Amino acid sequence: MSYHFGRGWSKLVPYLLLLPGLLFYFLISLGPSMATAVYSFTDASGLKGAPIHWVGFDNYREFLFMGRASLDNLAALQRTLIFCAAVTLIQFALGLFVALIVNQRLKGSNIFRTIYFMPVILGVVIQGLMWSLFLFPLGGPMAKVLSWFGLHSEFLGGQPTQAFMWVIAIQIWANMGTTMMIFIAGLQTIPSELYEAARIDGANALQAFRNVTWPLLTPSVNTNLLLNVIGSLQAWQLFLVLVGYRNGTQVLGYLVYATGFGQTSGSVTSSFRQGYAAAASIILFLLVLVLGMTVQYFLQRREARILG
Amino acid sequence: MSKKLFALLSLMVVFTMLLASCSTPTAAPAVPADGNQPAATQSSQKPAEKVTLRVLVHQNPPMVAFMESFNQKFEQKYPNIKVDMSIVNANDLSTVSQTRLSANDIDVLDIFGFANAAQPYMKMVDAPNWQQLIDAGLLMDLTGQDFLKNYDEAAIKDAGSYNGKVYAVNLGRVSYSGIYYNKDLFAANNVKVPTTWPELVAACETFKAANIPCMTAGGKDGWPIFVGAYGLLGSMYPDQAALVEGLWTGKIKWNDEKSLEMWQKMQVYARDMMEEGASGIAGDAAPGRFASGAVAMFPGGTWYAPAIEAAGPSFDWGYIPFPGSDKAEDNQYLFGKYDQGWAIAANTPNRDAALLYLTEFSTPENYQQFVDAVGFIPTQPTAKLNTKIGTEVAPYLANFRVGYEQYWIAPKGAGQFANPWASYFKPFGTDDDPKALADKVQADLQAGLDAVK
Repeated sequence: MSYHFGRGWSKLVPYLLLLPGLLFYFLISLGPSMATAVYSFTDASGLKGAPIHWVGFDNYREFLFMGRASLDNLAALQRTLIFCAAVTLIQFALGLFVALIVNQRLKGSNIFRTIYFMPVILGVVIQGLMWSLFLFPLGGPMAKVLSWFGLHSEFLGGQPTQAFMWVIAIQIWANMGTTMMIFIAGLQTIPSELYEAARIDGANALQAFRNVTWPLLTPSVNTNLLLNVIGSLQAWQLFLVLVGYRNGTQVLGYLVYATGFGQTSGSVTSSFRQGYAAAASIILFLLVLVLGMTVQYFLQRREARILG
Repeated sequence: MSKKLFALLSLMVVFTMLLASCSTPTAAPAVPADGNQPAATQSSQKPAEKVTLRVLVHQNPPMVAFMESFNQKFEQKYPNIKVDMSIVNANDLSTVSQTRLSANDIDVLDIFGFANAAQPYMKMVDAPNWQQLIDAGLLMDLTGQDFLKNYDEAAIKDAGSYNGKVYAVNLGRVSYSGIYYNKDLFAANNVKVPTTWPELVAACETFKAANIPCMTAGGKDGWPIFVGAYGLLGSMYPDQAALVEGLWTGKIKWNDEKSLEMWQKMQVYARDMMEEGASGIAGDAAPGRFASGAVAMFPGGTWYAPAIEAAGPSFDWGYIPFPGSDKAEDNQYLFGKYDQGWAIAANTPNRDAALLYLTEFSTPENYQQFVDAVGFIPTQPTAKLNTKIGTEVAPYLANFRVGYEQYWIAPKGAGQFANPWASYFKPFGTDDDPKALADKVQADLQAGLDAVK
């Protein structure tokens, strides 16, 4: 194999070309992430000029073991995992189902693709506003529907479990378009001859899906699963816009934001605790890392087994 | 290979340390920067060059409307100064203050009255955010400024001073423990203005029987659902500072007999008095909902009054202390706080313009227009209670007390239920048994008290 950049110092050219991107990545992403790890061992408030003291593992100890607050934190951790599992599985299945339908040569399939993808291009605030209006309990469309059956719900402001389920549904609605598009891209790489051959061999639609579509979609499956897992573990903005910082609905990402930036209710005075928030975010990072690596490990093994 | 990897990792760690030290100087002493010197000797001067003064306020429609008109007048009087005002939700004010002060991206900021200071009986509590801002040298020392003389000493001392220096000038007190009531609906349904808890319950039953929702609140913002019930808490524990001390020292418990009565009443408030759907109403929209005449009562702060007047100029309403006790004499108190104030960023490059802005704002004429617009109880002794809400609260001003929320700091390790909030009850929360909830709240508080022992 020939080397295109010559010999001697010329060998360094590709590295030099990579350097600006690498530096940018280091400055914007990796550097601050590592600084967060350092901050998690301090009592940093995040205020310029405020003294910072090394506190060792105190922030981690408080987060994981101190009083009932630690149980609330662990409940937020558990809720984050539930959110991740529900969003990943449903979004994946729904995205695949919709992709299979709109990938057919049907009239208007492009319009449907656009409609399903549209929520992705809206900002979180717009998404939140739309759904807040849709779920407005005092005469909103959903409240009207419930009233036909003599029912009432406070929706996002009522039972925390119900509010949590609505956020799951809205997260799926907001991101399903991306999952669908990745699947459509994958579906369009599958040669039509394979389906013809399957049909000649007597395969029905389900068998064609199981033996042709599903194995050949493996790269798209892997990409989607990984993106869904990581995305849902880090999601918190919709919680902020839709339900606020309410008992029984917090996920870890929101907890990090609220403690780090002293988010308050009305004029209640709280403290800025970025050191503590950094510890919480490192715990979230470890969770994402462990889950992400595990998922990736199994997906790569599966890909190697199927595609060789 | 491993040596290379080690070298790379070492390089990354060194770089990270550099980043960390660049972004937030470690162990920086809380020595006032240049801008944090007492400003007494530096009179505000008209700037010679054109400057843009960056001002931050929280969302409160009548206040924002006043500020826009004040800014226009200010710019006309001082053509060299352009005011660039940003508005944020009250819940986000401290976050935005933190980031913009740290980035030196703000000159004048709205800051709530100093509260929640650590008390001697509290252990392991963090300094409140205003104290952190001062300790970090981010707020200008305003001690000795001429405009401070226009305000009453108690307000300056209680709501804007720290370690003997003045860092904020507070613009008014508000009550959050009263109820607005619709006079026409009360008259039409022959309901007497309630002065006791049984009368309030009976009034709500009458309205419900007439298919009129009894109370509304801007529950989408969270706190407005329970803020009205702070009056209920106040009627049980009129000395709120003593209540907080009692909770910290274990002399008062959230599940003792007296508190249990409060929880039972809070359940009635959340379940039977508040209208269905209140959790979806935004805080800004609630005054309009009340002014529409559809609801009999609206528990909330005095700051809502201008918005009610704007939404229904001919709408006839009154304001009473929350009658939480069975005895009328216990229901004479209004609980509240020092609301909005002004502070200046210590490192502002527009010091003169910022001081000029506060000086101009603090003239008796401008200040009077401000309190007339927002309905605050004035902190300038020469200002008059011209507003309707002023007239309504005047009989209770002698009984005005700083409320629980301004004293309370939760011990570290306390659970998320360690608060006296009516919104824990269904339909806004999950609880429907006052005794079980009282035990849960006390257990969450006790866990924190035990953790910091």
